[in-house]
Amino acid sequence: MNDIAISIRNVTQRFGGEGQADSVLALDDVSLDIRKGEFVCLLGPSGCGKSTLLNIVGGLFKPTTGTCTVEGRAVNGEPHPDKIAFVFQESTLFPWYTVIENFHIALKFQGIARTEWDDRAMAALRAVGMASFARHYPEQLSVGMRQRVNMARGICVGTDILLMDEPFAALDEQTRMVLGEDLSQLLAATKKTIVFVTHSLAEAVFLSDRIAVMTARPGKIKTIIDVNEPHPRSPDFMLESRFSELRNECYALLRDEIRATVAAQRDPQVAGS
Amino acid sequence: MEGSSFAARSVQLSFVAIVAGAWYLASETGSVSRLFLPPPREVIAAIERLVATQAFWSAVTVTLTTITKAFVIALVAGVLTGYVLTRSKLAMRVIEPVLSGLFTIPITLFLPMFILFFGIGAGSKVAYGATYAFFPIALNTIAAFSKAEERYLRAARSMGAGAWDCFRHVLLPGAMPVLITGMRIGFFICFASVLGGETISSVAGVGRNIALAAELMEPARMYAWIMFVILTSVTLNMVVYSVENRIRSR
Amino acid sequence: MNAPVIVASPPAAASKWRAILQSALWLRIGLLAAIVVALEIYGRIWADPAFMRPPTAIFEALRKEILPEPKVIAALYMCVAEIAAAYALSILFGVLIGLAVGASRFSRGAFFPIVLLLYAIPQVALLPLVILMFGLGPAAKIAFGLSHGIFPIIVNVVAGMRDVKELHMRAALSMGASRVDIVRYVVLPHMVPSLFTGLRLGMTMTLLGVILAELYVSQGGVGYYTRVFAESYNPAPLFALIGCLAAIAIAFNELVRIAEHNLTPGKRRTHALKASVKE
Repeated sequence: MNDIAISIRNVTQRFGGEGQADSVLALDDVSLDIRKGEFVCLLGPSGCGKSTLLNIVGGLFKPTTGTCTVEGRAVNGEPHPDKIAFVFQESTLFPWYTVIENFHIALKFQGIARTEWDDRAMAALRAVGMASFARHYPEQLSVGMRQRVNMARGICVGTDILLMDEPFAALDEQTRMVLGEDLSQLLAATKKTIVFVTHSLAEAVFLSDRIAVMTARPGKIKTIIDVNEPHPRSPDFMLESRFSELRNECYALLRDEIRATVAAQRDPQVAGS
Repeated sequence: MEGSSFAARSVQLSFVAIVAGAWYLASETGSVSRLFLPPPREVIAAIERLVATQAFWSAVTVTLTTITKAFVIALVAGVLTGYVLTRSKLAMRVIEPVLSGLFTIPITLFLPMFILFFGIGAGSKVAYGATYAFFPIALNTIAAFSKAEERYLRAARSMGAGAWDCFRHVLLPGAMPVLITGMRIGFFICFASVLGGETISSVAGVGRNIALAAELMEPARMYAWIMFVILTSVTLNMVVYSVENRIRSR
Repeated sequence: MNAPVIVASPPAAASKWRAILQSALWLRIGLLAAIVVALEIYGRIWADPAFMRPPTAIFEALRKEILPEPKVIAALYMCVAEIAAAYALSILFGVLIGLAVGASRFSRGAFFPIVLLLYAIPQVALLPLVILMFGLGPAAKIAFGLSHGIFPIIVNVVAGMRDVKELHMRAALSMGASRVDIVRYVVLPHMVPSLFTGLRLGMTMTLLGVILAELYVSQGGVGYYTRVFAESYNPAPLFALIGCLAAIAIAFNELVRIAEHNLTPGKRRTHALKASVKE
């Protein structure tokens, strides 16, 4: 039991009061255990509640019912910045601070002594190869560079757990692949527990130890797929037939859920078409 | 800047030259009454005489003091009101449309009321200028703080930022550009409305002197005052813009 | 922006009442009513009648001293006519000058800075001069309203023409659009929201210009009556007159807003939040 980092038990999330017209059931009775040092992907169609689940683990949302514990401590709508760091979908680097100031502010929020700020920030920037851009403002960097810095900011605070909410969604596929390799290497070096939300099949298979495939709204965990491949992973992994098989398996599981999601968004279909 | 090409500059310079030339010709040849348009040399002479008088500087002092008082009041009241309103969604929905609606009515309408309440002296102009400038400052403060992006706040909270940290490092720097725009608009509205208040009804100040020169049919003096106001406001505009750009570009 | 936001809810009676109580419109009306009541109480009990009268007394003055007075009504009518004339001229010349200035990169680069420079001048300093030139009658007030209203319209027409998206132009060209087609179907629809921003600000400024000139000229028109009422220490008719002018201003603004609401295509309606007079 001691090697469990995150434990999610029967979590349900409803937005808006029950029985009201605008009420949405986002998550329905989700349970999941995540081991220490594990890389888990939450994979599902858009709007299935995977980001919601991540926000609950991070303590940014309070679940309607159910519990979530992180390293034995209950998370109930309270962030635990000493244990958990977040990397968000869009670049959340503050545009009014330089790259290095962004790191400083994160370390300051964490209550880390001022004397350590520079060393830790520069170490994290070096790890992603962005040390020479420390004095730039975020808008002076390309989207890919920004996200690299953003990732490093999540890493520099030194928590055991990293939650990543579609961090590569705004990037083109090639940048995405390079950043994915970087992440796999960082993971092997730091032994962090990572929960990663994505809707990209290839990304999920390439990065994860386990993939939690979710259903269309209300989100439930449909299946968990194991990917037995040690980190750091080389790009060659993508060329193996095992990669394609796992990817196809995920696609087969997701296909109906994606259809269900799209069907809920468009005109009613004429029967037989 | 698009306007920086040589051809564009020459058009602008010739515009100024044409205006100045037309003024000179029309007034010197007497084809326009000297009452409306005195010759440039008379205006220049009037400016020289004016600047040398004690009355000029005391009028300028009255006006500047009035503007400063009005602006400080508007700034404090506007920023506080605006910020407090953004803290409550309901208050925003109820009151913000009232403020933006009131701002489309010329506040000048209420000048007779201010004069009734505060007398014909500087007090009524302070009240009038402060009321007029209050609206753009409050509305821009509301716009500045209500467009704070949720993602930055969430990121800060996930890093363990408290309420003060969120304000100091996320809300305030995010709001700054729009806040400064509001202050600039508020300042120039304050400037124009104090001047207008003095022109319409007062006993002292720059605006009063323009009106007085018109009443006494002394066009050269009136033009001298107008020139002074235009030069001051163009200079102020340039100073404020460069300060604003410096703050913006960090 | 002004539409009441009533949250849809099931027809349960209790929550319906809650929805009404929380709806912004009713709260707003309640708030304004509370202010009127407070003024009434203050005006009746504490206020010095030489400076302040309760709303009921002001209404009484409106009924007895303003509405039956043909000369005051004539002054108000004249004021409405001046605003309408000044605004119509502002639109006519503002749009024409705006189209000319915005027509090409060169004309924009050359003339737009001149427009912005003139816009930045505090025109109120020229008010005595305008009165001197155009006299005490409506001509001066129309001229001053026009000189205020024209600038926001020019500026926003130019801005609307400038921001046409290159991609939209290319899309239209790829579909075989001619130059005329592009102006008709891309440039004009594109600048509609910006044009209406200009028309809205232009109305605000026209009102300001006309009212400033009216108040300055105390020998006749509305300005004469404000002075008479203020100097006789009889504030009730003064407040009633100001109320009438405010109602006129609100009516003009509403007209522009309704036109904007009905004539702006699609969802690109802008709202008045940053109603910055000198932007």
